[in-house]
Amino acid sequence: MSKIVILGAGISGHVAASHLRRKLSKQHEVIVVSPNSNYQWIPSNIWVGIGRMKSEKILFPLAPLYKRKGIGYKQAKAISFFPEGDKNEEKPYVLAEYIIGDKKGQHEKVTYDYLINATGPKLNFEATEGLIPGQNKTYSVCTYTHADHAWEGLSEVIQQMKQGKKAKILIGTGHAKATCQGAAFEYILNVEQELRKHKVRDMAEVTWISNEYQLGDFGMDGMLLSYKGMTLKSHEMVEMIFEDRDIKWILGAGVNKVKDGIAYYENLDGEIKGEVYDFAMLIPAFSGHGFKAYDKNENDITEKLFKGFMIVDADYTPKPYEEWSVRDWPETYQNPSYRNIFAPGIAFAPPHAISKPRKSKNETPIFPSPPRTGMPSGITAKLVADNIIDSIKNGKESLHHKGSLGNMGAACIASAGFGMTKGSGVSITTYPIVPDYEKYPKTQGRKLSKTFGEIGLAGHWLKLALHHAFIYKAKMKPLWWLIPE
Amino acid sequence: MTQRISKYQKFKMMNPIIQFFKFIYLSIKIMIIVAGGHGGTRENIK
Repeated sequence: MSKIVILGAGISGHVAASHLRRKLSKQHEVIVVSPNSNYQWIPSNIWVGIGRMKSEKILFPLAPLYKRKGIGYKQAKAISFFPEGDKNEEKPYVLAEYIIGDKKGQHEKVTYDYLINATGPKLNFEATEGLIPGQNKTYSVCTYTHADHAWEGLSEVIQQMKQGKKAKILIGTGHAKATCQGAAFEYILNVEQELRKHKVRDMAEVTWISNEYQLGDFGMDGMLLSYKGMTLKSHEMVEMIFEDRDIKWILGAGVNKVKDGIAYYENLDGEIKGEVYDFAMLIPAFSGHGFKAYDKNENDITEKLFKGFMIVDADYTPKPYEEWSVRDWPETYQNPSYRNIFAPGIAFAPPHAISKPRKSKNETPIFPSPPRTGMPSGITAKLVADNIIDSIKNGKESLHHKGSLGNMGAACIASAGFGMTKGSGVSITTYPIVPDYEKYPKTQGRKLSKTFGEIGLAGHWLKLALHHAFIYKAKMKPLWWLIPE
Repeated sequence: MTQRISKYQKFKMMNPIIQFFKFIYLSIKIMIIVAGGHGGTRENIK
């Protein structure tokens, strides 16, 4: 009998737990430890943030589902890792603290045979002074509660515009090394469309602010893509969309401070500037959770497990941008020191960025961190689960399933406006996610037949279809496992 | 404001009949890319 503990119940943790439970017999234990009581389909947060979808539509409670499916569930947060156990406990364990109910505040040693760290990122708002969701006129759409607040803030500004007040709207990244530009891109297009629907578009100045060097970088170093029979650069496509919608842009901007209605940033020329706004949605920096790890004698071994995020089978040797390779990226997400620990999704430490690193004249690094959004999170979680299942069934370590971001495609279906007949979407696929310059030297590291862009109503339908399909899948309804990650 | 997408292009982008076929096409194409497999990158390293 094996006991598999999964930390986190986001896309990655939930995918791993559901596949493990489906494929392993009941004699094996699958336990999820998560501080969250709900599963949330994060990609639909942008529609909550424009008031077009209620947050109840993108979430459901985990406890009843896990009870029904025979998955153990502890609503607790991981505090520290003991991969060798300790003097009193022979088995490896994670120290967790309950955050609700009778056991609130109590600590428990959650022992395991296999551990999947799917804790995702910490939303590091503290890294930018004054960037607090709901304060200083800034908002976030990173969680459903943040998105609810964002809609409250936006609707208030829309009401003011209806009464004749002009407004400035600022959307983008809130830190010099933030990632997730795609979510901000979706949000700015949705907000712009909402302003038109409310007939206040001419009252608003809408501005994109980002740490990207060029539009359409998306933390993936931009891309060449097929669009209507042509080969376009992603920055040309995004520029076309922004110009057509009268959206201004500020690039190479490392936002470092937010005051009531002013975002201060440093640009690549080293200038410190301020951008005034009435409503802002700024994506914070992501960071690891600051977990500690200890050996059997309780010596600190954090550096064996964490490098901000969790260390896995990547090549972390520091090297210049010109020497980066797809082979630096992990394939199995296994920790090299403790081979029964895995970190799929956003929880693993990337070997380096994907976008070219740039510094301002003041030596401040200003460039996007690598994105690892829903789809790769699901795929990497499933392959980790499959390797654990094989290892248990074969009685020896099996790492047959592999999935490097350098050999994996991704689809970014960016909503550009909500509505069954008036909606729009920008559908972009990329293969591979991390450019492989050896395999595709003439097309900026991407396979053009699998890297394309499309704009139109179909993109909105597609995003809506994915919303329903993935919530169906997450609820583990009949034949859920036929829907790919 | 600079009109970068022509009215005819916008008509095609928003026409439900054209977009229905585009939806089918995109669904299949994305499924092929996404579910078409993934793997490692170090197989050829000796």
